[in-house]
Amino acid sequence: MKRRAPPAARVLRALDELRPGESSVILSVDGDPQVARRLMELGLVPGTLVQVVRRAPLGDPVELRVRRTHLSIRRSEAELVYVESH
Amino acid sequence: MSSPTEQTFASVHPLHETASPSPKDPQESRRFCIAILGNPNAGKSTLFNKLTGLRQKVGNYPGVTVEKKTGTCELPSGRKVEILDLPGSYSLRPGSPDEVIVRDILLGLQPGTAAPDLLVFVVDATNLERHLYLALQIIEIGRPVILALNMIDLADSHDIRIDQDALEHALGVPVVAISASKGTGLGNLRRLMDRDIAPSTAAFRRWPPQVLRVLRSIDSRLPEREHLSEMGRLDLAMALLLDDGEDDALARIVPPELFDDLRILRQRLDGACPTWRTEEAVGLYEVIEGVMARSVRSTEEKRDVARERIDRVLTHRIFGPVLFVLLMGVVFQSVFEWAAPAMNAIDSLVSGFGRIVEGLLPSGPFRSLVVDGIIAGVGATITFVPQIAVLFFFLTIMEDSGYMARAAFIMDRLMAKVGLSGRSFIPLLSSFACAIPGIMATRTIDSRRDRLTTIMIAPFMSCSARLPVYALLIGAFIPDKRVGFLTLPGITLICMYFLGILAAVFVAWTLKRTILRGGRKLYVMELPPYRMPSWRSVLSTVQSRCLLFLRKAGTVILAVSILLWFLASYPRGGAEVRTLETQAARAQAAGQTERARELESKIAGESLRNSFAGRAGRFLEPVIQPLGFDWKIGIALITSFAAREVMVSTMATVHNLGDAEEKPVSLRQTLRNDVNPKTGLPSYTPLIAVSLMVFFVLACQCMSTVAVAKRETNSWRWPIFMIVLMNGLAWGASFVVYQGGKLLGLG
Repeated sequence: MKRRAPPAARVLRALDELRPGESSVILSVDGDPQVARRLMELGLVPGTLVQVVRRAPLGDPVELRVRRTHLSIRRSEAELVYVESH
Repeated sequence: MSSPTEQTFASVHPLHETASPSPKDPQESRRFCIAILGNPNAGKSTLFNKLTGLRQKVGNYPGVTVEKKTGTCELPSGRKVEILDLPGSYSLRPGSPDEVIVRDILLGLQPGTAAPDLLVFVVDATNLERHLYLALQIIEIGRPVILALNMIDLADSHDIRIDQDALEHALGVPVVAISASKGTGLGNLRRLMDRDIAPSTAAFRRWPPQVLRVLRSIDSRLPEREHLSEMGRLDLAMALLLDDGEDDALARIVPPELFDDLRILRQRLDGACPTWRTEEAVGLYEVIEGVMARSVRSTEEKRDVARERIDRVLTHRIFGPVLFVLLMGVVFQSVFEWAAPAMNAIDSLVSGFGRIVEGLLPSGPFRSLVVDGIIAGVGATITFVPQIAVLFFFLTIMEDSGYMARAAFIMDRLMAKVGLSGRSFIPLLSSFACAIPGIMATRTIDSRRDRLTTIMIAPFMSCSARLPVYALLIGAFIPDKRVGFLTLPGITLICMYFLGILAAVFVAWTLKRTILRGGRKLYVMELPPYRMPSWRSVLSTVQSRCLLFLRKAGTVILAVSILLWFLASYPRGGAEVRTLETQAARAQAAGQTERARELESKIAGESLRNSFAGRAGRFLEPVIQPLGFDWKIGIALITSFAAREVMVSTMATVHNLGDAEEKPVSLRQTLRNDVNPKTGLPSYTPLIAVSLMVFFVLACQCMSTVAVAKRETNSWRWPIFMIVLMNGLAWGASFVVYQGGKLLGLG
């Protein structure tokens, strides 16, 4: 399910740029250390596969699927999560 | 209190043996306490209900609004133990008041609550990976722990095979598979709870050496904590290090000289190991992945097809909001309509009971106190119960089924505009029926500041008690003209509702930028799987909400009712009233019932005008004159603090009309024709009516709202602020309407 990000430099993409249905692997979680810690505690740890399931009807927040859990996260928060770019 | 079985037990339990040999020690007579904890949606409450049956008690932790649920349970040996249902939590590093309580209780920081003797950690077996995060943190602090693998039946059907022995071995604590909703495995759990579980000694986290050094040095400067393992003490040190200084429980245990050092240590760590704050999460998930690999065999992750199908409709771009609006319509209508017959029944029961008592007691001040003060006050309290019950019936179903999170998901964007989250929407909508259940429904908001903001703006929603006031004033003063496909009275009514919403938006926006700024920086929320709600737990929640309201808010409402009765009845009428009374008695004796009734109305009016409330109305006149209100309205403003609709009956009484409900038309007529004796002009004009309606939209005129806000915020500070803020706004807005209207020549 999870794979480690290869060490080779890749282009970063913020999680909120993923289209609904798209998946990618988390590279880093930025922003306020408290916010980053909380997101990581909920499973958004670097190396984890994450899928954007859908956007809310008004476009924000987005539904994520990570470690068998579904989370709703505002786009302002998703901007802080960097994922691999394919 | 201490039965023989408990004493036998106390003597065999190692904790009690070592604690103190003295039989007078409070530890020994205290019941063995088992805490149930876990992530939200793990099924804790279902398990709690199954273990305790209806033997449970709901209260609050001192000083905070977090609910404390306790119950008793009999174990197979016959021993009675206390069960504590801790709020759902994701981490020992708290992000909400609920999580602070959980951490404080587990680390022994909670004043007045001893650390539990045994922890039953409930995990959702279908979601083991995420739930293990808190489980590992908890196991490490060194308390006796049982891991309950809940929803094992669902895990089976999802082809998730969990090797219990391997899991037990990996975690170092006993594991028991249960299904709390089906009741399977509970016997095993009870037997396990009866056994003497040793404190866990497992250690999973490996702190980086620099971090470990700092944690050890902090720990060495803290007072001894005998119930924590070494890892537990390091955990506490980490909590202190991570704390930004807002945490009261932590601040209490930090020696002052350590406080400044903590800041230095933090800075030093930022340099030496920049990722120290998140190291823990990364490390724990690594451990979890190892545990999962060894103990869980699941075929290729099976998708939850049912969930996907339901979500595709319920959170659909168009159907989602439409269904939400329809559902809200049903809920709102039900609070309005379903509750109405019950409320009327209560009303007539109470007034019937009042009449019986009236017949039994001799006429006089005591009878008046019992009938108009106490019985009316009790009636005022219990008329809210049907609305609370209906609303919480729906809310609990929505919460337990998993829909509430979807509703918040849909509404979040809209509420974010005023600085709130989707969770605030439903309490606010409910407040259109009545702010009491609305304010009580704010409990699902996990951010304290968001919750306080929502409580503060809920009373601005035009509730059903304002309708009779709008109806009276619109009926009397707003001409029934057609405007397009609407009528002027209809437009006025809509404007009043919108004015309340506008005020709420303004107040929320202001509060979230001033005194309630910040707090939560993160709005991440779990979207749990859909589950069938259990009727038993729905009904038990509804019941406990109603009882809580009666017990806590009811007492305040009753006290204020009696006070208001006193203000409206004393001092008793002077010479004029006595003359009228003799006349009325004479008329009655002569068989002139019509005349007698007229005189009765006059007596009621005279008594009210002469009472403290009447005098206060006159006293208030200079303050409310700039709004266009006379002293009669002043009286109504005071008496309507019992409930807004009382304004109508007060206006009737003060105009000598007796019972308003019998003659609504004549009250309208009277208001229209009333002339100010000083000026010779009409006392009330359409402009005054609008000004008064605006005042009713904005003013805090409901003692029950104040009482429930006091109960829900656990302090008098917020309700007092609410009164000042709302009445200030009301005065200002009515002033602008009346004076502005006069300037425009509308008055």
